[in-house]
Amino acid sequence: MPNGWTGKILNVDLTSGATSERDTMPYAREYMGGRGIAARIAWDEIPAGTDAYDPENRVLVMTGPLTGTLAPSSGRTVMASVSPRTYPIPWYTHSTLGGWFGPELKYAGYDGIVVHGKSAAPVCLEIRGSGATLVDARELWGKDTRETQLAIKAKLGARAQILAIGPAGENLVRFATVQHSEENAAGRSGFGAVWGSKNLKAIAVRGTGGVSVADPPGLLREATSHRYQPAPQFADVGRKPGAPTRRHPICSQACTFKCWTGVYVEGPGGRRLPGWCVAPVLRNPKGMAYTLYEGGGIRVPPGVNFEPDQDAHLHELSNTLGMDMWLRINLQPYLVRCKELGVEEIRGARIEPDKYEWFEPFVHGLATRQGLGAIFADGLRRAMDVLEDELPDELVRLGREIEFSFGFPAHREGRIFDHEPLPFWVISAMMHISETREPAIGAHQSSLMLETLLRRDREKTLRLFRRMGENVWGDPDAFQPSLERKAPVTVWSQNQHMIIDCMPLCDFGFPQLMRPIRDREDWQTTDDITGDLEAGPRLFAAVTGVDMPLSEMERMAERAFTVERAILARSGRGRALEETLAPHFALPCKTDGTSVDRAGFLRLMDEYYAARGWDPDFGWPTAEKLEELGLADLVPAIEEARQKFPEAKGSRASLGKAQG
Amino acid sequence: MTVKKRLEAHNDRCRDCQACVLACSLHHEGQCNLGLARLTVSKDMERYTFDVRICRHCDEPACLSACPVEAMRQDERGVVILDEEKCVKCGACAKACPYDAIVLSENPEKRYLKCDLCAGRAEGPVCVEVCPVEAIVMEGAEALATPADM
Repeated sequence: MPNGWTGKILNVDLTSGATSERDTMPYAREYMGGRGIAARIAWDEIPAGTDAYDPENRVLVMTGPLTGTLAPSSGRTVMASVSPRTYPIPWYTHSTLGGWFGPELKYAGYDGIVVHGKSAAPVCLEIRGSGATLVDARELWGKDTRETQLAIKAKLGARAQILAIGPAGENLVRFATVQHSEENAAGRSGFGAVWGSKNLKAIAVRGTGGVSVADPPGLLREATSHRYQPAPQFADVGRKPGAPTRRHPICSQACTFKCWTGVYVEGPGGRRLPGWCVAPVLRNPKGMAYTLYEGGGIRVPPGVNFEPDQDAHLHELSNTLGMDMWLRINLQPYLVRCKELGVEEIRGARIEPDKYEWFEPFVHGLATRQGLGAIFADGLRRAMDVLEDELPDELVRLGREIEFSFGFPAHREGRIFDHEPLPFWVISAMMHISETREPAIGAHQSSLMLETLLRRDREKTLRLFRRMGENVWGDPDAFQPSLERKAPVTVWSQNQHMIIDCMPLCDFGFPQLMRPIRDREDWQTTDDITGDLEAGPRLFAAVTGVDMPLSEMERMAERAFTVERAILARSGRGRALEETLAPHFALPCKTDGTSVDRAGFLRLMDEYYAARGWDPDFGWPTAEKLEELGLADLVPAIEEARQKFPEAKGSRASLGKAQG
Repeated sequence: MTVKKRLEAHNDRCRDCQACVLACSLHHEGQCNLGLARLTVSKDMERYTFDVRICRHCDEPACLSACPVEAMRQDERGVVILDEEKCVKCGACAKACPYDAIVLSENPEKRYLKCDLCAGRAEGPVCVEVCPVEAIVMEGAEALATPADM
């Protein structure tokens, strides 16, 4: 058994009930683990043109070499499938979750699971010891994610770790989650509905083995060094010297971070509930007001908070029904805006989004597709296509802007939700044009944290950014607030994030682009905040015994990212669709009012595609780039896609004519 | 006089990250295996509570007197050490322990595992060092004179 990996991936055919195994290592050598291996299997095995609900779609559940070890925050699991959420066409994407499932899968002897086909009746995949069996789950169908997990634990023991869908997944809600324990979810990409379409209710695993580690003292040293910290937004820049550090809950096996992202809350009757990443938005009585945005002819009103225990209940409800909790952040302000513009009802149903007595049943209705849920369970973007002749133009436009990112909610793009001044929203925009999904998670390290510093002390922070730019990218202007030369930082961030998703580690913690700030005094006196970028390779080496330099990991990441891009190409997503994002970035930035016009946006696209070695017409990898990355076998399929999808070609040529 | 050190577990602070369990297994066994640690952490999903089971290093260790084959001895720190070579795997110590803190490991072979307070480790017990929420802490014997969460 190699150190780190278990060496085996489990294959499950739901149609025939057959299971088999494959060797992990041929994949691991080229793609390391997690998201990288998932991308290669998806390329090889999901046929081009497969819809999310086609039995040929795969459910990929992957871990990486660090999963199940003491590497800080490594208790993560990567999921991937063709998504039902992407708009206007289905394509392959991924979603990751924390918790205890991935580690337990490793302890059961598997690095991952590849599920395909469709079961005739609801089933649960049980993995125990070295065996995997499909078990009748008709009695679990209809149960929520908590009830489902408790029922399975009653049978397999408390230590069984479970992934499960709730009613939302069963009813093919396009933002249905796959849930694990109370607070962990593969939330964004609608994979719960993929499971629902396959009649796959749950995967339960109980392992009795362990993960071999090449250098136990080295890994122990890293884990106890306390030199890692989560995103520096939570850096103690304002902490009094000598004050005790905060004690915060963890949300993942092996996480040793004193993180701010998980906050425990009290639910109805004082029952303690695990918190969540954006808990402060909902548990602060005025937190939902954060959604306020006005500019470019649209307005997102402040969302409405209910009583704290009601807000906590609504959050728990989205976890137990199995839906992306962002439904609250998206849908509530949208419906409040409907009321502001005099729309009192939709399709004959009254809307009262500011009343808990209305909103709570509305959430249930989403999961069961009852009432207005029948329309909004397909997401705001698709709901606008259904309602465009019934609602005022402004509301139709607003719905489309809120889910501007191919059906994913606006997040870290500096307009609708988060603060994201220059240069961060430019980096985010380049991620939006090139990734398989809303890329907020990839932006956590490059923006979430650093924009907080920028708002705290602009002059000092820009000075520190110049230093960081020089240290990391060899360009002092790389991180300065402008539209220029942001492609290298974007490509770097995406590759780093791919590495994080392959090992895997928490994207709030890694890469350590910024070093921990001890306290206020440290912040005031420092002239260099560049972090420890070698942390990932060190942890990888301690676990696997493989000394892989960061540059080699980046090449592996580029290869995996390029395979994801190739899968998009084969689905027909290319430059033409990505140009449709331009109007969103012409809206003024929420923080600093900056924006980019269409011509400027197309220039950002050119710059990005060129930095990636992709052609400027389709935005797809060139044959030379594929060959350089050892992906020559992908060349014919990409050439074929260029013939098959002429409409994916962008308008670059016509723009050139207009300018000429 | 040196004060005897012991470990105190605060279940109300624990969040089930298993870092202590993994660190223990890594330090003692060279691999990350929840079943090969000298302590266990479990979660009751129904009640959302956590339970850390770890040797408290009692003044009058029941395990020591229960062992029929003298596989246990107290070292100079007063810590009960289990000699696996002498152990006949009868389970008497585990049965006698009031904290259910002697772990029966069955994979890959049947063994009883007992906390030795990381004997010889200069930094002290690794579980204490790695815990992010101070759910396992070192306490002097005197501090324990006041009732804790026992």
